[in-house]
Amino acid sequence: MEPANAGTFDTLLKRGELIESTSEMTPDYLRELKHTLIVSGDTELISAPAYYLAAKKAPSVNAFMTGIAIIQDELAHAHIAFHILETLGESQEALIFKRDPKAFRYPYAFDVPLESWTELVVANAMYDQAGFCLLGDIHEQCSYGPWKRGLVKVMAEENFHLRNGRNWSKRISQAGGAAKEELQRAVDWMFPLTVEWFGLPDNLKQHSAQLDYRLKGLTNDQLRQQWLSTVVPFMESIGIRVPAHKENSHFVLDYPFPSTFDAEAKRWDFKDPCTWDDVLARWRARGPRNAEMVALFQESFAKFQVRV
Amino acid sequence: MGTLSLMGYSRVHASVREYDVFARKARVEPLRQVGSVVAPDDDLAMAYARATYDEERWVEMMIVPRDAVIRLWAPGESES
Repeated sequence: MEPANAGTFDTLLKRGELIESTSEMTPDYLRELKHTLIVSGDTELISAPAYYLAAKKAPSVNAFMTGIAIIQDELAHAHIAFHILETLGESQEALIFKRDPKAFRYPYAFDVPLESWTELVVANAMYDQAGFCLLGDIHEQCSYGPWKRGLVKVMAEENFHLRNGRNWSKRISQAGGAAKEELQRAVDWMFPLTVEWFGLPDNLKQHSAQLDYRLKGLTNDQLRQQWLSTVVPFMESIGIRVPAHKENSHFVLDYPFPSTFDAEAKRWDFKDPCTWDDVLARWRARGPRNAEMVALFQESFAKFQVRV
Repeated sequence: MGTLSLMGYSRVHASVREYDVFARKARVEPLRQVGSVVAPDDDLAMAYARATYDEERWVEMMIVPRDAVIRLWAPGESES
């Protein structure tokens, strides 16, 4: 790879132009771009086993087929990110099949098992909404041309996942009784996990190279607010409680952020606030389903190697 | 032999080619690059393209091996 002329790179970036090839990048930009793509690719990839293990609990063949269609989309989205990483000089096979489970960089929420159809559709309504906010921002703002263009497909399909999540959540809530209680329990543990998804609050995050390089356009707190502004009114509209409310123009959480989470019991202890260092330590240690999910796609690769 | 096989690692298939995928939604539209796939042969490349880029009901889809494309210039390069 030829080293980029830093002056040319700065000019392109300042003019709001798209970067199209490695020859136009500085090494620092390339590193930051790869990091952002790995987080995105890992998130899409891990959603496949996470959703699959829950889709098996689908209440009908039609519902199962919808679940499988969503998984197929997620794998295609992962393909887009990993394929770009390959053109940037990374090995797709090494990244997907040879990395240690703990080295994957997807949000912690996916490590907590989705164990029912209800939990799967809440994931579609809340996790996919988070993906929609994050990727929509990248789609609008990203300075790397091939990724910006690749996200056209991703945005169209995430919209379908979101619709599936919302339609089913509404339907389950309208059914009332035990079904609605199960939905409320799922939202109770999944809502704060998705709030956490957007990362450190802006006042603790000193500096973002991703923003400097226009790899994204909005800060963590701006994205979190965007997510809250769609999820809170929706959940309230279908009669489901969420621990947040609107004050003037922005949304406020009704619990100490961050708080302690018991992953095995899927329970938050809002009486036990913790520090962001505690949260980062929990994220680094990964959650209950990390190794099982990575093994689902890595196992066969090791067993079935056909070389010419 | 595609450019990817020149990289310093091996795939399940030792020899793969990269294909660009083009499609359009309506007859009045021009073809547009919608993505790319990597496959060991044309048949699998077609299957991958069809399965991966299924976000629209395209009226036309085609794939082109990237090494068959002759580039005259790229962004940042001027015609000389």
